[in-house]
Amino acid sequence: MRKRALGVAALTTLALTACGGSDPAAAPSAAPSESASAAPASGKLVIWADPNRVKALAPFADQFGTENGVTVEVKEISKDNQQTFLTASQQGSGPDVMIGAHDWIGNLVQNGAIEPVSLTEEQKAAFSDVAIKAVTFDGQIYGAPYAVENIALIRNTDLAPDAPATIEEMVATGKKLKDDGKVQEILCLPVGQKGDAFHVYPLFAAGGGKLFGATPAGDPDPKQVLVGSEGSVKAFGKLRDLGEKGDGALKTSITNENYISSFAGQKCAYLISGPWAMGDVRKGGFGYDITPVPTFEGGDPATPFVGVQSFFVAAKGQNKTLAQEFVTNYVTNKDVAKALYEADPRPPALTEALEEVKAADADAGKFMEAGKEGMPMPAIPEMQAVWDPFGIAEAAIVKGGDAAKAAAAAQKTIDGSLKN
Amino acid sequence: MKLAFRHAFVLVVCAFAIFPILFVVSAAINPLGTLASTELLPTGASFTNFGELLTSDVYPFGRWFFNSVFIALLSSFASLLLSMFAAYAFSRMRFAGRRVGLLALLLIQMFPQFLAIVTIFMIFTEVTELYPAFGFDTVWGLMLLYLGGALGVNTWLMKGFLDTVPKELDEAATVDGATHAQVFWRIIMPLVTPILAVTALLAFITTMSEFLMANVFLRDPESKTLAVGMYGMIAGDRRNENFGMFAAATLLTAIPTVSVFLWLQKYIVSGLTSGAVKG
Amino acid sequence: MTPDPREAAETRRAPRPRRTITTAFVVSRIAVLAVAAAILLYAAPPLIATRSWIGLGVLFGATAVIGYLYLTRRYVPAKYLIPGTVFLLAFQVFPVLYTVTTAFTNFGDGHRGDKAAAIAAIERGSVRQAPGSPEYQLTTAMRGSDLVFLLVDPDTKQVSLGDAAGLSPLTGAEVGVTGKVLRAPGVTVLTAPEAAARADEIAALAVPTDAGAIKASGLSRAFEGRAALAYEAGCDCLQGEGGPWRADESRGYFVNAAGDRLAQGWQVNVGFDNFARVLTNPTISGYFLGVFAWNSVFALASVAGTFALGMAVALALHHPRMRGTKVYRIALILPYAMPSFAMLLVWRDMFNRDFGLINQMLGLDVDWLGGVTTARLAVVLVNLWLGFPYMFLVTTGALQAIPRELTEAAAIDGATPWKAFRQVTLPLLLVALTPLLISSFAFNFNNFNAIQLTTEGGPFPAENPQVGGTDLLITYTFRLAFGTGGAQFGFAAAISVFIFAIVAIVSAVAFRRTRKQEEVYA
Repeated sequence: MRKRALGVAALTTLALTACGGSDPAAAPSAAPSESASAAPASGKLVIWADPNRVKALAPFADQFGTENGVTVEVKEISKDNQQTFLTASQQGSGPDVMIGAHDWIGNLVQNGAIEPVSLTEEQKAAFSDVAIKAVTFDGQIYGAPYAVENIALIRNTDLAPDAPATIEEMVATGKKLKDDGKVQEILCLPVGQKGDAFHVYPLFAAGGGKLFGATPAGDPDPKQVLVGSEGSVKAFGKLRDLGEKGDGALKTSITNENYISSFAGQKCAYLISGPWAMGDVRKGGFGYDITPVPTFEGGDPATPFVGVQSFFVAAKGQNKTLAQEFVTNYVTNKDVAKALYEADPRPPALTEALEEVKAADADAGKFMEAGKEGMPMPAIPEMQAVWDPFGIAEAAIVKGGDAAKAAAAAQKTIDGSLKN
Repeated sequence: MKLAFRHAFVLVVCAFAIFPILFVVSAAINPLGTLASTELLPTGASFTNFGELLTSDVYPFGRWFFNSVFIALLSSFASLLLSMFAAYAFSRMRFAGRRVGLLALLLIQMFPQFLAIVTIFMIFTEVTELYPAFGFDTVWGLMLLYLGGALGVNTWLMKGFLDTVPKELDEAATVDGATHAQVFWRIIMPLVTPILAVTALLAFITTMSEFLMANVFLRDPESKTLAVGMYGMIAGDRRNENFGMFAAATLLTAIPTVSVFLWLQKYIVSGLTSGAVKG
Repeated sequence: MTPDPREAAETRRAPRPRRTITTAFVVSRIAVLAVAAAILLYAAPPLIATRSWIGLGVLFGATAVIGYLYLTRRYVPAKYLIPGTVFLLAFQVFPVLYTVTTAFTNFGDGHRGDKAAAIAAIERGSVRQAPGSPEYQLTTAMRGSDLVFLLVDPDTKQVSLGDAAGLSPLTGAEVGVTGKVLRAPGVTVLTAPEAAARADEIAALAVPTDAGAIKASGLSRAFEGRAALAYEAGCDCLQGEGGPWRADESRGYFVNAAGDRLAQGWQVNVGFDNFARVLTNPTISGYFLGVFAWNSVFALASVAGTFALGMAVALALHHPRMRGTKVYRIALILPYAMPSFAMLLVWRDMFNRDFGLINQMLGLDVDWLGGVTTARLAVVLVNLWLGFPYMFLVTTGALQAIPRELTEAAAIDGATPWKAFRQVTLPLLLVALTPLLISSFAFNFNNFNAIQLTTEGGPFPAENPQVGGTDLLITYTFRLAFGTGGAQFGFAAAISVFIFAIVAIVSAVAFRRTRKQEEVYA
């Protein structure tokens, strides 16, 4: 293999470096002390997770290791997890089990990086429907879900005691509070200079907007991009009315960095965010409630995107059988789901675990409720081409730009990049 | 009057330098610990964020700190030597391909590193298989990788300085029978201490903040460097929640750099008192 | 002191006859040989064990060359250059060259591996559980030296034995509460660690059935499945559902008659397609000049600004009677001591219109990052903040090398401080720093982070979401290569080659101008 030969050639040249003679303290002398007693490949299971979950997984990984007489290593990746996983896998230094979001699946599958996992009917029934739907791609289940997250409307009940029935009502209350000087902003929803498709999607959907058409099977159809369609233009028009030249509820100055802290600091009475905001919200020290995102008067349902965190079996792992075993029979149990919830409070995908969590923490149930009608984030690789242009169109419209023009430009950009 | 003017000017620049950092300080001592509060003055002052950071069992900050300093010290020392050798050759000797070599050194730095990651994976997958002691997840492998960049900018920096050292000095020594190695170690090196110190500091800082390679290289939570670990703290939607701790970590990160600076400062300004170049 | 090349050559040649074999000479040569031997001893065995003969050859060849280089008295420059160059070749030159070769392929998401890998992934992904077949509980066991599956149907509790020949009923097996077989006649049940140790064998065993085959899924489950797609070498196609899917070697996909394609593709050579795409892409060609102009301004402004400010401060502190320099210096290097990604985020926040510190303190209502001019101003300012400590440090170092006598002499001659600076200090500083200014320009020309972490290239006009006001060549082309439809490494490499060429030409021209300077002061 050419690649291998090149790799060898490159590394042999480097092995010779200490010939400089001048710094004998360099690498080679230290080599023997670094006893890298690599266990034989068959006896090792390697898991990659993001920093928040490594600690929570460790005890279960150890337990699995003890029961099966193997060593289990949980490694931590901080950035560009999906791409790092793909690159490492391709070169043969990837993990056996990967943890990530379900909307990676399309891209992981087209790269042949993950394998289907076989859950029994019984196991499938133990998860919430939306979780199973999310990890299903092309008729196959590609991951074992463990947490479900979606956004909802979080309300400061000290300022706004009643849940708004419509967006109009929410904006009216927000405006009144602002006029009274009780808050500074009507709504805390991140837009930023580049837009935020994830957070604005419920409002977009409520206004009648759509990203993709549907295949006969009900999956998003990448051949029908509807960002520039009539319904979407109408929805963008509604966002424009809420924007800086309209009600002032949507602003580019509200960003991912400040929207949660502004709400926690009581600068706004309404926040549209997910379970990850709750840590800060609770620190704020006021009464709050979580309800589904309302829709416009006479609008469509304000469906949020649902993200499902999952375990994947790497196709190029050294130890796929063990990985399959770990993913299908081990992490699908209640205790793992609960431990992961403790480490990072997102509602468990396992219904039984959710029930137990709900008893101690009502918020988890409320988020789940708000996301019941949600739409799993499209896992198709084509979605990658939508995020940026959609967000930029959103930001332009919020600033008061022409909805039809921005939508058309986004559509054109997306079509252009999907063609390639 | 002149001195006062100097002070005033430097004070203004210092204010410019420190102003954004005050914002970080404010976030670090703010018990709410979130980004984006408009106030420069924190709403409360406490060291909870520091406490949380140092006792956190999710983020082994102490380890990160140690790893970073260890790697940065060792690799900046090694790369200093390598680039000093190269700069000496480029500045003092005339050989075929000298200027092309210099230019190539510069240009190679211009290639976007994030594209090279694929190849780095390729190389080190092989290394891990053959020589696990220098493979992924080892400090030594990362150090080798860093040495690949040793010649880059630093050679240019030092070559420029060596050019200012009068050539008569080493020529005289050569006539007296000194070998090139003696000229290098006994004459050139002592003369360029200030710039050696500056380069060492720059190399130290660069390694401290290097992120791209360390992120893919060190995957054990315990083996991370500060830059990678801290990025993980605010990765994804954790940004708000951990910002207080993150700000505290940012401030603590400056400690090693400032310490190294304090240590090297006397060499950097040594020329002022000793008169580096006589003649 | 006009340099005379002949003179220089002579001084190098002349002393040679006088040299004798000194102790230092012997010791250093022995050290070189010892190190070379040590590395050979360390590096060779794994290469031999894996039969990497090419690698071994390179290893020996390189050791021999380097050994010779340090034993001989010739090739003095090479002695100084080799140590760094070896690392440079392995970790910078080689990756760059390799990356450039990918510019001629469609390497990227969906096309990462080779064709065999794509076929394997497609076939595995198409395996469906046979309708109505049981979800077997699996126990692995040994019959003699053969691995066999003990399969329990969870509904009927019936136990079967599966091997490479097929499925047969098994009687007399004892099934535990978890559904695993505890004991069975004629076979030895494997414990979990024993099974784990044979994971590869377990994965390889397929028990043939009428509808397909029973394969293990993990260590405790098995199901009867059938691949909906199968590769046939004869037609170079995949037969089955929706097929035949024929291999399209020009694009690296399997396509069917309806024009659909399977998701998994492979890497193929596409010749100059990626380069053609860069040149013909209307977004790239249509906005190239504008972006290039701003890109140059950004790089120049960054270098000029940081250098001017850094040098000014260094000069201000460079005075024998200046007090408190230590404290000043620490304050001045702080921006450089902080992790830059963190500070870039902080800066971005300070420019926020409603929540930012800058508007707050100045009493303004400017949407800094929302307007093109203000956003450009903002990124240059941020880059100034990030970069000036570097220039301050190197200038401080360079100032020490300038003999004080020179400036004092100028002062005695009655030159004004400004004149002394212009005619004595600055030219000397530039000798030391010009190379650095060039490399700083090249760095800032491609300063991806400074833009990506602050404005992400924005603000974007509503009618064109692809090119933003502060976009550099590298940020906007990489948005094209990575922001849409996954990572397209091949395309990105092609783009890099173009940008690289531009930077190379600019730097080379600037570098040529330094030749004269170098010769004058060297």
